[in-house]
Amino acid sequence: MTGVRVLMLGWEFPPLVNGGLGVACYGLAKALAKKVRLQVMVPKVDGLPADDGFSLLGMNRVTPGDLVPAGKHYRYESFAQVEHIPVSLPAYAQAGGGLVERRMARRRKAGEFSRTSDEQLAVFQIDDLYGDDLGLKVLEFSKVVAMLAMQRDFDVVHAHDWMTFLAGVEVKRATHKPFVAHLHSSQYDRVGPEARDWIYELERYGMEEADRVIPVSRYTGRILVEHYGIDVNKLRPVHNGVDPVIRYRSRKKFPEKLVLFLGRLTSQKGPEFFLDIAARVLDRKPNVRFVMAGTGDRFMELIESGAYRGLGGRFHFTGFLGKERVHELLSMADVYCMPSVSEPFGLSALEAAQFGIPAVLSKQSGVSEVLPGALKADFWDTELMARHIVDLLDDGSLRARVAGRSQAGLAAATWAAAAVKVAAVYEELT
Amino acid sequence: MRIAKKRATPSPCVYFQVHQPYRLIEYDFFCIGDHPGYENDWLNAEMFTKVAEKCYLPATRLLRGLVEESGGRFRFALSMTGTVLEQMEEFGPAVLEAFRGLAATGAVEILGETYHHSLASLYSPAEFRRQVELHREKIRSLFGVEPRVLRNTELIYCNALAEEAERLGYSGVLAESVPWLLRGRSPNYLVRAPNVTTIKTFLRNTGLSDDLAFRFSDRSWKEYPVTPRKFLGWLRRFGGDLVNLFMDFESIGEHQWRDTGIFRFWERFVPLALRQGVRFVTPSEAVEQFEAVHEYDCHAPTSWADQERDLSAWLGNVMQQEAARKLHAIESAVLATEDAGLLRAWSRLQCSDHLYYMSTKGGTDGMVHRYFSPFRSPYHAYIYFMNTLADLQIRLDRGRTSPVAA
Repeated sequence: MTGVRVLMLGWEFPPLVNGGLGVACYGLAKALAKKVRLQVMVPKVDGLPADDGFSLLGMNRVTPGDLVPAGKHYRYESFAQVEHIPVSLPAYAQAGGGLVERRMARRRKAGEFSRTSDEQLAVFQIDDLYGDDLGLKVLEFSKVVAMLAMQRDFDVVHAHDWMTFLAGVEVKRATHKPFVAHLHSSQYDRVGPEARDWIYELERYGMEEADRVIPVSRYTGRILVEHYGIDVNKLRPVHNGVDPVIRYRSRKKFPEKLVLFLGRLTSQKGPEFFLDIAARVLDRKPNVRFVMAGTGDRFMELIESGAYRGLGGRFHFTGFLGKERVHELLSMADVYCMPSVSEPFGLSALEAAQFGIPAVLSKQSGVSEVLPGALKADFWDTELMARHIVDLLDDGSLRARVAGRSQAGLAAATWAAAAVKVAAVYEELT
Repeated sequence: MRIAKKRATPSPCVYFQVHQPYRLIEYDFFCIGDHPGYENDWLNAEMFTKVAEKCYLPATRLLRGLVEESGGRFRFALSMTGTVLEQMEEFGPAVLEAFRGLAATGAVEILGETYHHSLASLYSPAEFRRQVELHREKIRSLFGVEPRVLRNTELIYCNALAEEAERLGYSGVLAESVPWLLRGRSPNYLVRAPNVTTIKTFLRNTGLSDDLAFRFSDRSWKEYPVTPRKFLGWLRRFGGDLVNLFMDFESIGEHQWRDTGIFRFWERFVPLALRQGVRFVTPSEAVEQFEAVHEYDCHAPTSWADQERDLSAWLGNVMQQEAARKLHAIESAVLATEDAGLLRAWSRLQCSDHLYYMSTKGGTDGMVHRYFSPFRSPYHAYIYFMNTLADLQIRLDRGRTSPVAA
């Protein structure tokens, strides 16, 4: 345990988890709590506090009285001029949720910071951490967190992803403490290289203001330099860890081999490439089944595309699956395939490795740095991906070699190892 | 000249279709290879019981009363799928007895059709014949009669089907009348396919049938409400030999609930028509009495479903096309096993309702598809169906029997 005191800002946090972000923040926080003094702030906390070695505060439990001591001394810095907040997070958008533009009803004179009222805190009494008023939540979170931070003692503020970057900047301005921005997933990954929207701007602004930036992989670090113009000297890539699981194998109830895709059915994850890979594999090897586990905005068109290609009966959609069902799939899968178009990390590939399953990964992924033995191809090179899969299915010694080499990478991929690296970043700044 | 000063009212030729599918369970990936029960027994029993109470029992009582009160002058036809007959045996013996009682009046003709309410006629003449024969045996054993007129699943019809029906010995076959083939001619006559010698084709009077089957309770319809007198007037308006009123049996009490007045309509319409000298005929009687007056040339299959009156209710999108193609592709492999359990499972998957649930149509037709579907969406209907088919394929590959859910 060092003496460094860290204020960590998160968005998703178990049990309120939408994607991998909450899982990663929680894993890292638990490991860091053994090294530094940690307090975590998130928009919402449900249930009783767990004894994880750090304090956890949800904005839904903050009262206006908690903010009074700071109110007079604080000027809201970042978005004082904001009039419109367009909100759209395509990867997480519910069906029917398009671009919503909310006019800020409580526009203030520049420099005059709003007194936080019950009404403002009410945005944290929410079911959905995203939703149409996401922009408003992000703004209110940054204000409230900044005022709370003024009343706390800490040495570094550490924020996870764009939803909390603005809060990180506000805390830095209000307290003059160094700011670490941790990037798990960028708008480049979710939307593509053409993304230059307000979320992109917010990400870039947060990382420019940050003293250090932690991307979850070297792959992501390269995107931050090339697409966001972030100073390469500020980058400190740290790979995610993975919580240990009890590995088991179960017998398939069918004779065919099983190739698995896990992930949201959004363009980022490359599900249409997986369809194409499946068609190419089936051309060569008829005795293979494919499972696409997950749901998302591509669900319907993927099903229709699969039907058109005649993959039905061999290519199975499961919809969203809980952890136990995912483990059941992993326990019987023969090959894991992740053809993501851009994958900052790719935790599910590590989970597959935990189950001893060889992986075929897109080169556009962070996790391929952790699993050096995995077979790789560009996400668009479905022919090579298919050949890798066929090779793995046909060649037992290749299978064993690929799965075996993954175990070494897996052994190093712990949250404890990640915490050591993150703590070193704190040390640089204090 | 058919234009007489006082035209005789054409004879109503009424036929009711009785059918219930065996709805499938949400057969997810984890079932494949391990779960030989495909059907949602609980839901099927519940649906059957519900329809029996709302429709089958009261409607058979109503129709039997009308037949008996008229001394058999009110007469009509029924077509009952093998699946609904099995459900009667399984879930509602009283319903079966009610239909047998109706048939025993002698005023009710029973038609032939595919046992499994399938699209077999589109994929395999051999399978079509197998199912028609199976149905014939079922009707013979339950009702002691031989069907003489054929109605293919959902009134799917084309020249080739008429020829096939003739080859199988039927004297009449039912069809939808579609405007692009009628081209202004009246549907109120028997017609003949160009490629047959004797078999006569019945054309459903679309307008008058749907007035009772669909529009009856539609308050936004300008003719609402339909009274027996008004309907009789419409029957008379267009002349011809016969008016083919073809509709679901379930339109009395299920598609049209009792509170729409559908029971009261039939109760009053039949005596009123008979008092005014209207002569009801059954299809076989119509074949005897009326000539086929013109040729009806139907190359592409038509049906009575949806606005399109074609196959698009079951084969309109790629999911439906793939599901049907793959299902029928294993025909010879299934038959080769000579395994009764596999054959039964495969046959029941042919029920066209499973494809109907996969339709992605919108509008009023889409609403009807969704009304009948037990699944959340057409995509789920497809996923579960294909998983089921995958399991069947595995059982086929194993070449051994597994017990099918009774």
